[in-house]
Amino acid sequence: MAKITESTRKEVTEIVYNFFAEECEVDKSRIDNNTNIIKDLDGDSLMFLEMIEIFKKKYNLDIELKVIGKYAVKHPVATIGQLIDMQLLIIERENRLLELDNKN
Amino acid sequence: MSSPRQIFIFPAFADDHSGHRGRELPGLYEQLNLYLNTASKFIDPALGGFDFHQNNFLGDELKNQYISCIYSCASSQILRQMRLSPVYSAGYSMGIYAALFDSNAITLETALEFIRIAYHSLRGTISGTRYGMGTIIGLNREDIEQISRKSNLQVEIANQNASYSFVISGVQQDVSALLSLAKEEGALHTRNIPVSVPYHSNKLKPGAIAFADRTSHLTISLPTNPIVSLIDQKELSTPDDLRQELFRNLFHPLNWLKTTEWFIRQGIQEFIECGPSGDLAKNARFIEGDYRFLTLDKVQY
Repeated sequence: MAKITESTRKEVTEIVYNFFAEECEVDKSRIDNNTNIIKDLDGDSLMFLEMIEIFKKKYNLDIELKVIGKYAVKHPVATIGQLIDMQLLIIERENRLLELDNKN
Repeated sequence: MSSPRQIFIFPAFADDHSGHRGRELPGLYEQLNLYLNTASKFIDPALGGFDFHQNNFLGDELKNQYISCIYSCASSQILRQMRLSPVYSAGYSMGIYAALFDSNAITLETALEFIRIAYHSLRGTISGTRYGMGTIIGLNREDIEQISRKSNLQVEIANQNASYSFVISGVQQDVSALLSLAKEEGALHTRNIPVSVPYHSNKLKPGAIAFADRTSHLTISLPTNPIVSLIDQKELSTPDDLRQELFRNLFHPLNWLKTTEWFIRQGIQEFIECGPSGDLAKNARFIEGDYRFLTLDKVQY
């Protein structure tokens, strides 16, 4: 299991902010962790999928999309902050993401 | 500097026109009004009352197809007037009629007539059962087929947009069931498409035969550039090829992913989506290659 450091969090945050600023054509200063991806940025599920692909490549993650989908049903993502938290969990746990639910 | 090798892509129909991408395209509104006027005289007087802000035809499947076709035809004509010259074009699903118009194979009136006859021919052979379509994002083809098989659902994959992005088509109850099962199986997103005709499914073959019969008198000319089939990625360069494609397009599954990859292999550098939204451009994010996918607001002129 990967260890999430403060620098990982910073890097993931930076990537997510830059991605949505570019894709949604909004100034980065208008995005914060409470920004709603759909309502405020007019984002969509394909952006979410692309974000996952970016992190899969960057961190060489071994995770099936289906695992993320199953996790997301129980833990829906609406805001940028929630998306960052989910990406960090994906990086940390990869295909063991669903074990979090089994623990609870 | 030489111009990039370009293609024009014509989308099926839009969910919303209010934020359409061609707002800054010089002359678009004039061209649209001209075509809406023609369409209102030729096919349906109500079309003259189309309003971008009210989106007043979104709830009407047939009128929405007319409007999408008219919009695509108007925008591609503006691009042609700007000396953009595609080496190929392709119509995504019902966008095929606009692609034929753009390549001068049919007139606007004929494009609208094809749409009208297709709609009524298809509806005429599927009455009595509710049909529909949907999208699934996040599962692969095998996953979707397996879920469908296990539950014995009357649903087909109608199109593959990207490795993990599919359109399904079939009996409405089974489409909804598949979307729900797909979500349980880990799909990131599923959605019902608000249509009543299961486009690109085998259920429509009888309707397609009726369509072919009822449209045999409509003239199709040699296209000025080849149209590429979304079914098998063949270049269609003759009126017979195009007529056959219009027939097959109604009941045969499409593969947008393979078509995009085919274009990339032909050295296409710019895809231009001639439609109000950027839905096709969104799928391009997942298809690697040295190309750009432009919506109307990104075209340099």
